[in-house]
Amino acid sequence: MSRLFLLLSMVLCLTTGAQAQERPAQELVTSLSSDLISIQSNFTGTEIVIFGQASDIQRQPNDPSSYELAIVVEGPPQDITTRRKGRFLGVWVNREAERFQHVPSFYAVASTVNIGSMANRTVLDDLGIGLNHINLAVSGVSNVALSDRDDFRRAFIRLRKQMGLYSEQEASITFLTETMFRTNIPLPANIPVGDYKVKSFLFLHGHVVAQTEQTLAVAKSGFEQVTFEMAQSYPLFYGVLAVSLAIFTGWLAGVIFRKD
Amino acid sequence: MQLYLPIAEIPVNIFVIFGMGGAVGFLSGLFGIGGGFLLTPLLIFSGIPPAVSVATVTTQVVASSSSAVVTYWRRKAIDLKLGTILLCGGVFGSLIGVVLFQVLQSIGQLDVVISLSYVTFLGAIGGLMLFESIRAIRRRKSGVAPKARRPGQHNWIHGLPLKVRFRRSKLYVSVIPVVGLGAIIGFLGTILGIGGGFMMVPALIYLLRVPTNIVIGTSLFQILFTMAAATVFHSMGTKTVDIVLAMTLMIGGVIGAQFGARMGQNLRGDQLRMLLALLVLAVGLRFAIDLLLTPDDFYSIAIRKGAGA
Repeated sequence: MSRLFLLLSMVLCLTTGAQAQERPAQELVTSLSSDLISIQSNFTGTEIVIFGQASDIQRQPNDPSSYELAIVVEGPPQDITTRRKGRFLGVWVNREAERFQHVPSFYAVASTVNIGSMANRTVLDDLGIGLNHINLAVSGVSNVALSDRDDFRRAFIRLRKQMGLYSEQEASITFLTETMFRTNIPLPANIPVGDYKVKSFLFLHGHVVAQTEQTLAVAKSGFEQVTFEMAQSYPLFYGVLAVSLAIFTGWLAGVIFRKD
Repeated sequence: MQLYLPIAEIPVNIFVIFGMGGAVGFLSGLFGIGGGFLLTPLLIFSGIPPAVSVATVTTQVVASSSSAVVTYWRRKAIDLKLGTILLCGGVFGSLIGVVLFQVLQSIGQLDVVISLSYVTFLGAIGGLMLFESIRAIRRRKSGVAPKARRPGQHNWIHGLPLKVRFRRSKLYVSVIPVVGLGAIIGFLGTILGIGGGFMMVPALIYLLRVPTNIVIGTSLFQILFTMAAATVFHSMGTKTVDIVLAMTLMIGGVIGAQFGARMGQNLRGDQLRMLLALLVLAVGLRFAIDLLLTPDDFYSIAIRKGAGA
């Protein structure tokens, strides 16, 4: 009985092994240095390290036909209004506005080479890889002329880059061995809280041959979280608390510095 | 030392904020003002979101006025009846202010309204104060004694109905201008993040003819309660009161105010008023320049929905 079992398991092993060899797709495995970023009162930004392994790739540097990697870190979606100032009665005021819907609140992409050379435009647009390929859907109501819409898109990306919330780093994925790679994605101090997605793509000849997706949570913790929760869920109590603290501080100062 | 603000959601250097609170506290002690009109712009210019700056300064004004109110209370220099009626108007004005604040924020015109209001009110009040203080200084130099109270003189305000007697202020005036004045100051205070003492004090003196020894205590009393109401309204409406930022500003502010008050005793009243007028005009001018000069960047973005909205 035990001999039969051994035989059976050997056969099973052999067949699965054969299947693995036949399979054309490459395996891509990635891992994050941490899957929770907690924001505390001393938070001034941090970075996450993404490690990974892509098996069965013969990668030659500077060979356009070889395997290339792109890793995208995307924050929870936001609706963001972009406004442009114009002169009105001699004063500069916001005139036109364009509302972008469901855009990532944070977006960082790291890649092995120039993103444009990894695949053609449609592929990149579909997957949303690269700052020029993020889907910036606009709302129906807008007073922006069609010819100006690209200006608003460019301004939006530029402002987000200035805030450190959007970034694109070419050639920032480094290979440690033939198949193992790593990259660092900096997370600035002003990152929004929420659930982030970390997507990795393995390209060959302009097509995605393997991809992974992982989640990363960014959350306030400790005092920061308690305060924020209180302000959101019990605003009346929070307001009264703020006033009481203020009156107490003022009264205390009056007592301490009393002259007589 | 960097400290992450839970509501503003940005880290700030705590010593810089503390220093700002202290410097503005010094000036407020020196001139006997709340200092909101200096603190709010300072915070905005240093990168704190305008909505958070305005709402948080209302809390800071509560702290700075409460310690002064205690002092004036002991000296019995507060007209409680007048203060309470002013305050009723103030709370009402503040409520309307929070509603308008949210509307302006949603249509993207909050910043320009804040700037324009600063230019208008600071320009007008600063100009008037400068003019008045220069006249006072000239009068003092030429040796003519300033006229005392003129109880016989009346203006159009004294002709309004619903008159009430205010014993401590030795006044007999209609409640309409009192409630109206309270409402206007409460409304502006909530939108601009200022106590409004620098507008309230001249209005009480020149429009209602409240005696000068009662004016400051009564004005502070009304500011304390109106700003306390504004803090609660902002907490419930805009949810932008940052308690950590407020505490840092308060502690700096109350300490600075003590030094300012001591230094203020060595300066003459008309000199102080002239310095204050110049300060008010300078802040107004700063806003005017921003409105008139071609901006470096024509574009701006605002989060409307989702994380961090």
